[in-house]
Amino acid sequence: MPGRLLAIVLCAVLAESGGDRGVDVGAVARDGRVYVSSSASEGLMRDLDQPIQAGLSTTITYDADLREEVGIWFDRTIASATVDASVQYDTLTRRYQLSRSVDGRIGDSKVTEDKAEVKRFALGFDRLPLFSTGDLAPNGEYYVRVRVRTRPRVTFFFWPWGRDAASGIARFTFIP
Amino acid sequence: MATRPGSPASPRPSVPAPASPRPRRPFRDNPLQVLLGIFALVLALAGMMLLLNRSSQLAPDFLSEFVLYSLSVVDLTMLVGLVFVLARSVVKMLVERKRGLPFARFRAKLVFLLLGMTLIPAVLVLLVGSQLIFNSVDRWFNQPMDEMLDSAQRIASDYYHDRQRQVSDETARLARSLAATDLATSDLRVVRDAVAGSVTDQRLTLVEVYRLAPGADGLPQPVPVVDVASAAAGPVKTRDTSERLAARAASGQPDAWMREPLDNGGELIRAAAVVRKADGPATGVVVGSVQLTGEMAARARRMTKAYESYTQLRVFKPALTGVYLSFFLMVTLMILVSATWMGLYLAKRITRPVQLLAAAAREIGAGHFEHRVERETVDEFGSLVDSFNTMADELEASRRALEQSSADLERKHAEVEDRRRFTEAVLDRVATGVITIGADGRIGILNPAAAKLLGLDAGAAGRPAEDVFGSGELKPLAELASAPYVAGKAWPAQDIVLNRDGREVQLALAATPLHGDSRRLEGRVLVVDDVTPLIRAQKVAAWREVARRLAHEIKNPLTPIQLCAQRLQRQFAAAPAPVRELVDECTGTIVGEVEALKTLVDEFSQFARMPSPRRVPTDVHRLISSTLGLYEGLFAHIRIETLYAVSLPAVRLDPDQIRRVVINLIDNAIEALNQRGLVVVETQHAAAGAIRIIIADDGPGIAPEERDKLFMPYYSTKKRGSGLGLAIVRRIVAEHGGSVEVGANEPRGTRFTIELPCGEGETPAGTEIV
Repeated sequence: MPGRLLAIVLCAVLAESGGDRGVDVGAVARDGRVYVSSSASEGLMRDLDQPIQAGLSTTITYDADLREEVGIWFDRTIASATVDASVQYDTLTRRYQLSRSVDGRIGDSKVTEDKAEVKRFALGFDRLPLFSTGDLAPNGEYYVRVRVRTRPRVTFFFWPWGRDAASGIARFTFIP
Repeated sequence: MATRPGSPASPRPSVPAPASPRPRRPFRDNPLQVLLGIFALVLALAGMMLLLNRSSQLAPDFLSEFVLYSLSVVDLTMLVGLVFVLARSVVKMLVERKRGLPFARFRAKLVFLLLGMTLIPAVLVLLVGSQLIFNSVDRWFNQPMDEMLDSAQRIASDYYHDRQRQVSDETARLARSLAATDLATSDLRVVRDAVAGSVTDQRLTLVEVYRLAPGADGLPQPVPVVDVASAAAGPVKTRDTSERLAARAASGQPDAWMREPLDNGGELIRAAAVVRKADGPATGVVVGSVQLTGEMAARARRMTKAYESYTQLRVFKPALTGVYLSFFLMVTLMILVSATWMGLYLAKRITRPVQLLAAAAREIGAGHFEHRVERETVDEFGSLVDSFNTMADELEASRRALEQSSADLERKHAEVEDRRRFTEAVLDRVATGVITIGADGRIGILNPAAAKLLGLDAGAAGRPAEDVFGSGELKPLAELASAPYVAGKAWPAQDIVLNRDGREVQLALAATPLHGDSRRLEGRVLVVDDVTPLIRAQKVAAWREVARRLAHEIKNPLTPIQLCAQRLQRQFAAAPAPVRELVDECTGTIVGEVEALKTLVDEFSQFARMPSPRRVPTDVHRLISSTLGLYEGLFAHIRIETLYAVSLPAVRLDPDQIRRVVINLIDNAIEALNQRGLVVVETQHAAAGAIRIIIADDGPGIAPEERDKLFMPYYSTKKRGSGLGLAIVRRIVAEHGGSVEVGANEPRGTRFTIELPCGEGETPAGTEIV
């Protein structure tokens, strides 16, 4: 039992240590919605380039949480949303099939041969109205946390626990 | 094998030990669990082999996601488990070595030897195997293979690109050729003729022309105008895809081309171009298609598929390498864990019986003779355990016999002790003096009665009899103590007379030999009895007989003598005065002496025929007071005082006889005082169940050597008296079960002490009838 516990703790520590990559996050509350922008680091794209070029269906998932800080306790999550950016490269036609969904609903889809556009599409999104401001208190301090994960996972050699995890936050004051 | 109290391992009887819960057997000592463990291990290995065999069929994604995760978790768990077991074993061995447990060093060596023997080859195999895996994986993704697949994929891709460019160019040319044609109103033949040439020349397989009409949403919608198809085209796909392509082109999206798979295995490469008037507005869309045959398309797809599979596999190269290395590492860890466990098991298996025997020996050494070692094996260790248990059985039996003997001895000792206490109690209480003299001539036991009778103190015990009895009076005892013993012949009894405080004490001595088990003389017992009262009683009885005979013989002639004397007196009453005076004087003397003799004879007679006392509950104080009332006013210078005890119980006695006793003693006191002095009559509580009457005077007293003779009949210190007064006093008191003693009064005078038993249930003083 102590051995198993040690293994779990070790895994948790190592998994947490992989999340040092930053994600630029922006959040603006306007017109009853919270618009979120997110941009992952270029390093993530470098890791994903190989699976994309191999024709693997690659998905970058952005888990966005609208949260409120709570004193000395865990922060409160007000709402959550998931943005998936999928890239499928056709090696025969050399074109990229791009699609983006918000909470499972397809929001954008395109086909392109431009690799730079693929990068822009995959590494972030701009001003997506992910949350309603209905639950926010006027002049309240909130923040949006965005965590990024990929599929297929980008792993260390011999160590399957996350090299792809990254996260970032953006704080804002809700002024109705 | 485990230690147990009172195990029935041996057929010989053993003491049932107190029931204790059977301890849980460790895993390694349970064959069923060991077998199950081995079975699980084999099962795991088989599963791993199966997974390894099918790994080539599993998706790389699945391998990298699930399998690698699982293997890593298992590896980590086993690694941590191995480190834990090793650390625990090392700590345990260090502790055992520190505690000096037997075979601790041997166990440590054995475990580390087995571990080392397994660890070195296992690590070597792991290193070599890992290198082999790395090499193999690198060989899969080698440079020629990369180049070959990349080239093949480029060929296919370039072919598609060329065809797509051809279709796009031709379609764009057709769109330009239709720029001047009004697609909405022109003759369809004109349009058909304009595009038919491309089909006829096989530059295109299918040409579809759409005009743009405003849709419901305001955006231009493609409306089919005409289509021209090659005869070789066969059943071409639906119009839907071409309409969507036309719509995309009409909406202004660049790169309006697409691939469309066909049912026959072939493909259509389609491109759309917008038809624009010379002044710019779009009026229609031309969609041109080229059909690729099924074989060509399939080859291209296969090439692409192979390339994608290869590149995808290369993406998962680290994960796949990790999977195979994890397999290898898992097997290595399993070997190491098994080796460690086996080492511990073997070490325990070998050393445990010895440790158990050592522990059991310590238990038995500590007095726990019921401790046993349970036999679990049939090897030499089992025989050793049997021998040990046999030895423990015999030790336990011997100990039980010893305990039984000890208990018997203790019981006998207790009996002897009881007997000794009983004897001591008897000897302490008995009036007969008992003295034991050992073979060494020393006094063993000297009971209080002997000490009192012989005038010795308790310190005489333990001293040589010759020293203790060396004085003149006790010389007969010394002689008796040292008299030679003749087997079967007792020593003759002796009487000795001792002087105690002026009183003669008559003692009867008797000696009895003490024999040991071998009939050997081990000492002697001297018994001393105070026979003074007996002799005194014998004397009194003799005097009573004398008095009775004397009274009988003397009293009979006295009356005739008195009558004769009185007759002579009457006869000579008329005689001359000198004769008459002589006769009167003689007869008067005769009559007076006869009277005196009569009185004497009466006393003798009374002494001889003393009646038995008629006892009634009597208030002693009242009795004494009434008796003392007789003396009131008789003696001017003699004072009689009373000193009564408080709450003196009533005593059952003959009031007349006791009154006579009191009178007798007071008379003696008054006579001793010679008309002047003090007489004190005192009553006391004596010992339990007795009262004491003391009559003391402050007269000249009685010499100590005469005191004991006072109570003898016919002994008197007075000029006038029969000598029977105190004898009668003693007789009356003795008849009442009491005693009378005479002693010196302080500061001077004589003191008579009468002790009378009052018994239980006597009526308290003041309620007495008499």
